Amino acid sequence: MSQRIPVIEGLFAERSDGPRLIGSRCTTCATPYFPKSPVCHNPGCDQSKMEDAAFGPTGVLFSFAVQNYPPPPPAKYDEPYRPYAVGMVDLPEGLRVLGRIATDDFSQLRGGLPVHLIVDRMYHDSEGNEVVTWQFRPAPVLAQADDRRMKP
Amino acid sequence: MTEVAVLGVGMHPFGKFEGKSVGDLCRTAVVAALADAGISWREIEAVAAASSRFSGGKGWGLNGNDVVEDMGSTGVPVYNLSAGCSAGGNALNVGYTLVASGLHDVVLVVGGEKMPKGFIQTSGVEEKTDPEFLRQRCIGVSGPAFWGMLCRRRMEDYGTSEEHLAKIAVKAHANSVHNPYARFRKPFTLEEVLKSPMVCFPLRLYEICPVSDGAAAAILCSARFARRKTSKPVWVASSTVATARFDDGVTRHLAAVSPKGRTMHSEAKIAVEKAFERAGLGPRDLNLVELQDNTVYYELAFPEEWGLCSEGEAERLVEKGETVPTGKLPINPSGGFQSFGEATTAMGVFQVAELTWQLRGEAGGRQVPHARVGLGQTIGLGGNATAVVLKS
Repeated sequence: MSQRIPVIEGLFAERSDGPRLIGSRCTTCATPYFPKSPVCHNPGCDQSKMEDAAFGPTGVLFSFAVQNYPPPPPAKYDEPYRPYAVGMVDLPEGLRVLGRIATDDFSQLRGGLPVHLIVDRMYHDSEGNEVVTWQFRPAPVLAQADDRRMKP
Repeated sequence: MTEVAVLGVGMHPFGKFEGKSVGDLCRTAVVAALADAGISWREIEAVAAASSRFSGGKGWGLNGNDVVEDMGSTGVPVYNLSAGCSAGGNALNVGYTLVASGLHDVVLVVGGEKMPKGFIQTSGVEEKTDPEFLRQRCIGVSGPAFWGMLCRRRMEDYGTSEEHLAKIAVKAHANSVHNPYARFRKPFTLEEVLKSPMVCFPLRLYEICPVSDGAAAAILCSARFARRKTSKPVWVASSTVATARFDDGVTRHLAAVSPKGRTMHSEAKIAVEKAFERAGLGPRDLNLVELQDNTVYYELAFPEEWGLCSEGEAERLVEKGETVPTGKLPINPSGGFQSFGEATTAMGVFQVAELTWQLRGEAGGRQVPHARVGLGQTIGLGGNATAVVLKS
């Protein structure tokens, strides 16, 4: 029977209070890391002391682009290929995270748009399993008409 | 430190050459550079070669030892340098350092590539320890999509229009018409660029560079050696290598620390600013720039990040046509990556060849009038960058 499986284990969790990215933080300098880092890479930090941390579920879109053409391996996608948006999202925890932007209406996307973390389908593997990954969905409240939009 | 001269440069034209190996391409470039320098292969004392290994071992790239074997094994030391798309600049820097240190009098710098078709595949392993694998498998963000994100933000911040982007591509191809080494040598209209397919919104097919086969070589030598060979050498005023800062706002892995300011492409900014400082020259001294235009976006972002123009001024320079060879700030008179396509390891050396021809006044229909000082710059996956300042 087909299952819902994470694209890579250990990068995100679906908790009762919503999805989170799984990372870590240095308790000396407060630098956040995603994915988890065994040590702190901040050259200004004198003592690496790492603890587990979870990030999300809210963020603000910094920028986005549309993958209009199918990406090369090792990316995977279901046929027929459908363009999707990717973006950089600034989290309040001080992280800028890459991820898919879960919307078909690319024209609503712009920097500063509030987004929230979800876990959703990316592709199906050879056994028919639904492979899921972390994504950011535009918060519905600000997804309103804007005449300055550029049509992707 | 001894002064370092560019004694000779050579290239193999860029394109797709089914019947040729990377060795064939490099031999053409090396033979041309030796002839240009007026020296024989036996006079080369060391070789710095560019190699394009990426994350997870992915890459093609040149093995400098193959070039030496092909030209004739003389027992010289070979340095193979890997820095993604910045490798040519790294090889140039190592060649420069070998001569500047007084260790060698004459050094060959070479880069060449036979590129696979299509988008550059940036990871060759299926391992979750490889950040490029994670980026591609978990998100699926190709190189052009990455450039697209950076470009899109600029459009929102500075009002960059689709026409600005297209105009940069039109300028690149207008220059390439005069460059016999370019792959695409036909002029493009604004309409043709704007009607080209969207690859990764907001970037269109003619606003990003394809991959090409090609090679470039440069002979660097000491001032003492140069004066025996020529009365008008081109000098390397400075050559630098840098890597990205921790607080850079361009996410290289799945995430980065949110930057406090607009820190972007810090590796390129550090390399260029250090190059100016070491050359004792500044943006006002520049007559031309050969910068890494994988995408037209870089021609807007880089000049102001390096202080060549003020913040938000780049679009105005494009509008007024100031970046053409006869303008106030000529950018990529060669035609740039847009017209050549990228043969990754060759690019840093290709820029030195173009700058040398420009400073000698040998650039024909794309010549920048009275060119005396030129800047070259590369940026490569993994947070690599290089800069070089040449002067006549």
